[in-house]
Amino acid sequence: MKQILPLLALGLLAGCTTILETGDRIERGLTPPDAVNYATTKPEGGFSTQMNDNRIGNKVELLAARKSKTDGGYARVQFDLRNGSYLRQIINVSFEWLAADGSVVESQPNWIVTPLEPGALTTITATALKAQSAECRLRLISR
Amino acid sequence: MNKLFLLACAVLIVGCGTPASYKDANGRELVVSLDKVNIQDFATAGAQMLQSMITSPSFSKGAPVLQLGSITNDTADNFDTALLLSKLTVPLVNAGRVTLLDNDATANAARAESGSKANVPHAEYVLKGKILEDRSNAGSTRQSSFVFQLTLVEVKRGVAVWTEEKIVTKQGSKNSVGF
Repeated sequence: MKQILPLLALGLLAGCTTILETGDRIERGLTPPDAVNYATTKPEGGFSTQMNDNRIGNKVELLAARKSKTDGGYARVQFDLRNGSYLRQIINVSFEWLAADGSVVESQPNWIVTPLEPGALTTITATALKAQSAECRLRLISR
Repeated sequence: MNKLFLLACAVLIVGCGTPASYKDANGRELVVSLDKVNIQDFATAGAQMLQSMITSPSFSKGAPVLQLGSITNDTADNFDTALLLSKLTVPLVNAGRVTLLDNDATANAARAESGSKANVPHAEYVLKGKILEDRSNAGSTRQSSFVFQLTLVEVKRGVAVWTEEKIVTKQGSKNSVGF
């Protein structure tokens, strides 16, 4: 009996991930299709967000957006993301660069698959190609 | 009756297929193949390499003169390596960040003929690379990794001033659609 108990506990623990993943799949089935979420840097510092898919908002936190300049004077932004859930999340990211007047001047159209381990901090870096690029708009979508 | 049954079966079989439709080339509904490099793999690797390359000190000032070297395809899949290179050169040229030398024989001959005339650009950097693959499997699960390696060589000194490697790994038992 004593030998069976740890085995049973191990079996239950191994099953936990499956239960959570099944729950995640059911949640996805019951809610509207994935929507794109945005985080945009502000000229005065900091960032603003537009969350269109609250499921990702409940699991992935955007901690900071740091703006800097490269040696050549081009804008560079680093976004710090944290997976606050207990499961590995896979998100897709891409970004656009906006000029000072808000017009889109360049973009990375394709999605980059970005795995986020539970609790892990992930930094996404975007460097502008054009001198007029001033603010960065990060686009996030769940898998 | 038998003929009707056969006809019904044929209609059902035909109905199972998915009609062809247009998809966004940058979207998330593209075919993911385990045995070949997909168009989105070039886009992913190219975009990440571009972001790395533009942080190189060589790109900090002006528009350096770039010439494309050879990109060796060391995979079992037959594709044109321009699929990768264009992901880097198109944004760089359009943003005015590089002066890209035409690589065809006429252009090369014209440059050789001109010698060291000041108004004829000569390559300051050469971009070269290699694409490799690694395959493995565990039971029915197959895994393919495609390794994209690029190196930027400064012609004057003959030294590598930037180098990057990106790996795209895909795993599954069969090809699928989407991420």
